[in-house]
Amino acid sequence: MSIVRLIAQDELRLMARNRVAVIALVLLVLLTLVAVASSWAHQRNIAELRDRHAHAAETAFDAQPERHPHRMVHYGTFIFRPLGPLAAFDPGVDAFTGNSMFLEGHRQNTANFGDVRQSSLLVRFGQLTPAFLLQVVAPLLLIFLGYGALARETEHGTLRVLMLQGASRAQIVRGKLLALSAAALLAGAPAMIGLVALSAQPGALALPMLAIAVGYAAYLALWAVLILLVSALVRRSRDALLALVALWAVAVVLLPRVGPDLASAAVPLTNRFQTDVAIARDLRTMGDSHDPHDPHFAAFKQSVLDRYGVSRVEDLPVNYNGVVALEGERLTSSLFNRYAADSFAAQARQSGLVEIVGLLSPAIALRSLSMAAAGTDFAGHRRFLEQAEAYRYALVQRLNRLQAEAVSYADDTATDAGADRRKRIAADSWQAMPDFGFVAADGAALAAGALPGLAIVLGWLALAALLLLRATRRLGAH
Amino acid sequence: MNLWRHELRLLLRQRLTVIALALLALLTLSALVAGVAEVNRQRAAIAAIPAGQAEDIGAVADYVDRTKDAGSAAYYSFHPTWDAPAPLAFAALGMRDVSPYIMRVRALGLEAQIYDGDTFNPELALPGRFDFAFVLVFLAPLFVIALFHDLVSGEREAGRQRTLAALPNGGQALWRRRTALRLALLWAVVGLPFIIASAVEGVAPAAILIVLALTLAYLLFWVALAALIGRLGWSSVTNAATLAGAWLVLVLIVPTLANVAINAAIPVNQGAEIALAQREAVNRAWDIPREDTMRTFYARHPQWSNSAPLGPEFHYKWYLAFHQNGDESVAELAQAYRAGLETRDGAGRALGWVLPSVGVQALLTRLARTDLAAQLSYQDRVRAFHERLRTFYYGYLFYDRPFARADFDRAPRFEDTPDG
Repeated sequence: MSIVRLIAQDELRLMARNRVAVIALVLLVLLTLVAVASSWAHQRNIAELRDRHAHAAETAFDAQPERHPHRMVHYGTFIFRPLGPLAAFDPGVDAFTGNSMFLEGHRQNTANFGDVRQSSLLVRFGQLTPAFLLQVVAPLLLIFLGYGALARETEHGTLRVLMLQGASRAQIVRGKLLALSAAALLAGAPAMIGLVALSAQPGALALPMLAIAVGYAAYLALWAVLILLVSALVRRSRDALLALVALWAVAVVLLPRVGPDLASAAVPLTNRFQTDVAIARDLRTMGDSHDPHDPHFAAFKQSVLDRYGVSRVEDLPVNYNGVVALEGERLTSSLFNRYAADSFAAQARQSGLVEIVGLLSPAIALRSLSMAAAGTDFAGHRRFLEQAEAYRYALVQRLNRLQAEAVSYADDTATDAGADRRKRIAADSWQAMPDFGFVAADGAALAAGALPGLAIVLGWLALAALLLLRATRRLGAH
Repeated sequence: MNLWRHELRLLLRQRLTVIALALLALLTLSALVAGVAEVNRQRAAIAAIPAGQAEDIGAVADYVDRTKDAGSAAYYSFHPTWDAPAPLAFAALGMRDVSPYIMRVRALGLEAQIYDGDTFNPELALPGRFDFAFVLVFLAPLFVIALFHDLVSGEREAGRQRTLAALPNGGQALWRRRTALRLALLWAVVGLPFIIASAVEGVAPAAILIVLALTLAYLLFWVALAALIGRLGWSSVTNAATLAGAWLVLVLIVPTLANVAINAAIPVNQGAEIALAQREAVNRAWDIPREDTMRTFYARHPQWSNSAPLGPEFHYKWYLAFHQNGDESVAELAQAYRAGLETRDGAGRALGWVLPSVGVQALLTRLARTDLAAQLSYQDRVRAFHERLRTFYYGYLFYDRPFARADFDRAPRFEDTPDG
């Protein structure tokens, strides 16, 4: 053990003399501090802004005067997606999805005003977050620190000297690994401290944080092992460096871009235009409430009349217009949900394809692990969209029911001068409508979403460790 | 000439060089193929508009034709607009993956429509697209590093430098030759596939030349950086590590750091505020005397003021008037929002003057018309088209002219003519 520690100490001393590496390490630590501070501030700003907007929208809704309920269906409401506490560590797709949504009757709107469409072109270079630094920058730093660990000894013939002094190959490799792991720990510590600092926020969850911590630790450990593996396999330090930088560029920079391109080519998404046209077509075949001869609505009318045992809509105890509005919204919403489910399924297939590419690049697997645990992946956004639609449907139907029950059919269809007044219902009806509250996924669900990525990273680590074991046995043999 | 051939033979005998050049050529080719495929997908989506639109508007015409009500025609007719990719778009897809390039609008309030997005998978957009601009800006420098980091130090480490230094003029001609040769090869493997793809896509020769010059200049920057570090007399491996570190800082860290700084320094919050304010202004019209709405509207648009006064029943001209009033009430907010976006974008481009990676990306997306300016110009075209739609429907509504099936064909059609 003491031999291992001696070798590790020796290696760390050498690393400290490597100017490029030390500058890079200091830079990384500083950047991580900046990233933790700035993403925390950014996240709190966003949260505050969205909260203020959401509050303004709710107040405006509640403050509406006496209205016809259908006016409120069109007045609609704005909702804003709140950010989970871990979004400060890894904001994931937050900048790429709109975060505000207008909910109204008959229509399903898009989430708008995402950061990506309102930032300079720099946003496409990446985002300075603790997650980005650990995923992209930290491995390169470890490469700078460790590429020569074994290749240098082989190149200069000092490996033999070490072995003559009684160190076994395994001890040498373990010592170097220990040194590089210490460096990795140092590189990852500021981000992890930031992560723990986030846990002081209310609502931060232990399980996803654990998944993130284990995932990133495994990822950095994987790079440490890979670096030693390459360093053991090649004869010259320069070749080790070039091979490792190439490996890094492919795994961290290239594949994460190629994967999505392949996925979007393989699984095309239906655009909004085609979806809207298709929904309108389906709606026409299902039933057109505007058409007095439409078979669906004729049958529907008969069923309503039968239910109440009357022969004319005028004799119904409820406002038939409101009843039709309920039925119309039911039909359109069922279509919205069907098309949304198709689109979600296609996007899930795309993400699944990227995940397969992730088998080749642990960086992709780590990214999806990290976003899933932070609740900032597409699944998190989808959760918001689905809850938004459920809320929209419930709100609109509540308003339609008010039209059916609180506005008489006679008033609703009247066109005389005073009719507009009689159609309106009391303003306190709006305050009785529940506000939108986003229910975030619980810790266990978030952590479960991170498991596939975690399995891939751990699988890579195991494979790399096995290969290093084999390489160790043949170390210095060539 | 003989000397050049000799150098080339020497160079191509190095396995690393040959692999690197072949790999870069392959990456450039794949990026071009991916870019062209994406642009073709977008063109196909635009080409599919007329068929879908004809079906959709046909059904609206069937419905409206029963009542000949121009208001219903205005309310239910969605009119397509599109932003066809420029010839060079395949090389730098820019924002085209996250911004809509097809958008349908109707004659109601535009501020509630123009910020809508299209369907895209945010997880796929997050890492950025694999296009020519990516290969050039991100990957090409790594190949420069691979080929140039040991240009001088390699000879020193092989013990040949003293001999070379003894050449006339300290071997200056030799180093120049070697540098020029490596640079030319890199330029060729990036540039030639680009020329072919551009020719296929019908890019203007001037634009091709600009991109080629830009490519050369960017490669030259990295070669100069490598030469500068090579002069410090460090070992090959230190050179390589230093250059890779410089790449990391110049291509990844400074742009992301600047992005944080720009977004913090230039806040753009008006987006949601426009939406909230416009909806308040529009819906308030139901609670104020309708004559107030018409007065405000006619004051701004006197050309319609000779229309008949409103009766007690609902009239769509009032409905559309308060929608336009709503748009006009948030015009200042919308202006401020747009100005904020332009300021942010300007700050990002300004960084391009000192940071080659950002400068190249900015120039490429500008040439390819895939940057923010292109998005805003598309919005301007949509705004102009929407203005024509309004005028068209108002001509029926304010004079109570019936709107028959044939009138659907008279509606303005969007013509996509980016930048003239």
